Amino acid sequence: MSLHDSASSAAGSSSGSSSSLSSSKPPPSSLQQDIVRHLAGAGYTIRSSDLPQVAQRLERLETAMGSSPADFFQLASDAILYNPSDLASWVDSLLSEFTQLPTCCFEFILAPVDNAWTTAELHEPRVQQNITYEQQSLDRQLTVVTAMEEDSDIRLVHKLMACAECVQRGDFSSATSLIDDMQGLLARVNTVCGIRKVAGHFIDALSRRIFLGIGGGSVDGCGSAFENEILYHHFYEACPYLKFAHFTANQAILEAFDGHDCVHVVDVNLMHGLQWPALIQALALRPGGPPLLRLTGIGSPSPDGRDSLREIGSRLAVLARSVNVRFAFRGVAASRLEDVKPWMLQVNPKEAVAVNSIMQLHCLLISDPTLNSPIETVLNWIRDLNPKILTVVEQEANHNQLDFLDRFTEALYYYSRMFDSLEACRVQPEKALAEIYIQKEIRNVVSCEGSARVERHEPLAKWRRRLSGAGFMSLPLGSNAFKQASMLLTLFSAEGYSVQENDGCLSLGWHSRPLIAASAWQAMPEPGSCVSCLE
Amino acid sequence: MSASNEINLNESKMVVPLNTWVLISSFKLAYNLLRRPDGTFNRHLAEFLDRRVPANVNPVGGVFSFDVLIDRATGLLSRVYRPAIGEEPQPNFFDLERPVTAEVVPVIIFFHGGSFAHSSANSAIYDHLCRILVGTCKAVVVSVNYRRAPENRYPCAYDDGWTALKWVNSRSWLKSRKDSKVHVYLAGDSSGGNIAHHVALRAVESGIDILGNILLNPMFGGQERTESEKRLDGKYFVTLRDRDWYWKAFLPDGTDRDHPACNPFGPKGRSLEGIQFPKSLVVVAGLDLIQDWQLAYVEGLKKADQEVKLLYMEQATIGFYLLPNNDHFHVVMDEISKFVSSDC
Repeated sequence: MSLHDSASSAAGSSSGSSSSLSSSKPPPSSLQQDIVRHLAGAGYTIRSSDLPQVAQRLERLETAMGSSPADFFQLASDAILYNPSDLASWVDSLLSEFTQLPTCCFEFILAPVDNAWTTAELHEPRVQQNITYEQQSLDRQLTVVTAMEEDSDIRLVHKLMACAECVQRGDFSSATSLIDDMQGLLARVNTVCGIRKVAGHFIDALSRRIFLGIGGGSVDGCGSAFENEILYHHFYEACPYLKFAHFTANQAILEAFDGHDCVHVVDVNLMHGLQWPALIQALALRPGGPPLLRLTGIGSPSPDGRDSLREIGSRLAVLARSVNVRFAFRGVAASRLEDVKPWMLQVNPKEAVAVNSIMQLHCLLISDPTLNSPIETVLNWIRDLNPKILTVVEQEANHNQLDFLDRFTEALYYYSRMFDSLEACRVQPEKALAEIYIQKEIRNVVSCEGSARVERHEPLAKWRRRLSGAGFMSLPLGSNAFKQASMLLTLFSAEGYSVQENDGCLSLGWHSRPLIAASAWQAMPEPGSCVSCLE
Repeated sequence: MSASNEINLNESKMVVPLNTWVLISSFKLAYNLLRRPDGTFNRHLAEFLDRRVPANVNPVGGVFSFDVLIDRATGLLSRVYRPAIGEEPQPNFFDLERPVTAEVVPVIIFFHGGSFAHSSANSAIYDHLCRILVGTCKAVVVSVNYRRAPENRYPCAYDDGWTALKWVNSRSWLKSRKDSKVHVYLAGDSSGGNIAHHVALRAVESGIDILGNILLNPMFGGQERTESEKRLDGKYFVTLRDRDWYWKAFLPDGTDRDHPACNPFGPKGRSLEGIQFPKSLVVVAGLDLIQDWQLAYVEGLKKADQEVKLLYMEQATIGFYLLPNNDHFHVVMDEISKFVSSDC
């Protein structure tokens, strides 16, 4: 009997076990489970049938270590490891690394601080395919809670929750007086940090919901596209989330493109194309020379008639030319991602295709029973492209719950964490505009409903299920990507950010709470083919 | 060299269940990859390999947890584990710091092990252990995510422990009904045990009451090479060389292992005679190469007339308490439970 059955099964797992251990031995488990439960509690998945083999390999590594410590040490610095939870496979990969002749390893170092094109060092990657075990979801977790610094914090949170609850019930008069209370409270306290900082934005969002109604977001509009781009750019500069997203996705794409001479990146939302100079750079320096790179950027049609997609494409083409990368750009203007059809992207069967989605998929989760689910439509056309890799970065949050109060609570903690992390950044005025960028998200989550509510963030566990269900399998992001991401953070020199590895995916968070998660996928082979994806 | 290695491997395999052997051996392997000969530590790889679990406000096995930022300036986080009350659904924010209701509630401040360099409060193995402690002792457990070596040397870990103690001691929601005081115990394994001792010392000097210290395979050492170190070097997962590396990484530059942090009752240490030190429960594994230092620690406490109970687990190796699949584990949990409940 074990008190905590497995690290990965939390909500809803067996609570039948008593919480106190007596001096007698645990009763023998009536079910012979294949995965060793005790090791699962330690964060490792391994089949009991694999134990003797893994033990043997550990012994071999031990002996090898004893006889040539220098080589072993070299192994440590150079090896790229994947999926540390899968004990059998990482021991195997270490052993196979150690028993082969040393080759140089892949390191792609990028200076992400500004848009100046800097050189990057490259070596050759060796990507290993690994088994991943599906981790069960943790549907609701409230992770970091700042120790309430003052009583006013507690009162503020109390009132915010009470107000949200009134709004949910439709009791707008009580809600309104609570809002007055809170504004009074805020006027009297120091709003520099903690929950107070973000409280103002939540009060504002609740007011909008009450006074403008739930389509209120669309009155405000999304701002002009130009304004949005400026805010996005400042958010990009002020804190590491978007840089992490681009960095990690690029690293995975680079590894996926290894060995291919014709590659094609499809960016589902080009924006300013901030992600691509670094990739072009890295491909330029690839040993053996750069491939032919095609980039297809999808974006909304510009209302003012500017062909902004083409402008960005031209700038990228200039860069590519300057580093001798054969490059072709194509813009696809679509107001809705689900309207895109594979033929519009003109993918060549000989190309290696990478599809890149940075915080776009959640917008497609609007459910309308009368239409085909947009997310399914889009995932289907992506899959039809047969991409070598699909990179997905999403906010690690549960902001799409049916219950308004649940959503409100989650968002309160998520965004207070994010605001706290912004405090660590010194750069003004980026910070102020970055806050406005975040504020718009808050407004959308709290004050909008239906098709107006686009910020429908879902946690990684849900995305895993969705993507697996749509015919994709996970491509683990390894120790190299992890290291690059960690190094990126040290460039930011803000204590408090942390990168975590979770079953092949990487997340960036503040004070141990992940706020953004990156994962990579590839299309599962068609049924009927002989390839099995799980041993 | 390889012949004796084989003997060593076989010996350790005979005393622990296979899954424990695999777990501890893979830690050993990983840790070997992380310690560089020049004294630096491959922190990126360490963070990548360490298996972590998030906190969970949904009760699992009757325990829920949440993370708290105790000190903004140093970024000191701790994970609080509380027993869930009855069949209630997931707690909301206000339930997290709801006052404890029993007459006496022990609060155990836990310092995870890792030889001062490895692991975190949210490492899976320690999250697991803390949850068990909640159930065993009917306690609230606060697991401190102290700063680690070599990036943060002595006395950072002790300072963080002290900060956590002050925080715990000042939480009104942790006060036992009986006397409106927080009933604090300090506990830790390996380096955590060492930290518990030093934090207790500081507590005593500052007038904070600690009801007891629980030290699991505490990490102590000294310049001298003891008999157990020579006899057991390399035999059961641990080598003298790695012990030396960790002390070098933690202790101030230019000091040796007789520094009182490492050797509290050694030539540079001091006696605790006349001091109101808390009672101690010290667990020593019979196959741990540093046991002579741990036993010397117990002797040092006894000589100073301090209350101490020694639990010597003959056939136990390091890390035996990480998996509940052996007798030692259950014996120790029983003793810890008695140690804590005897004050209730």
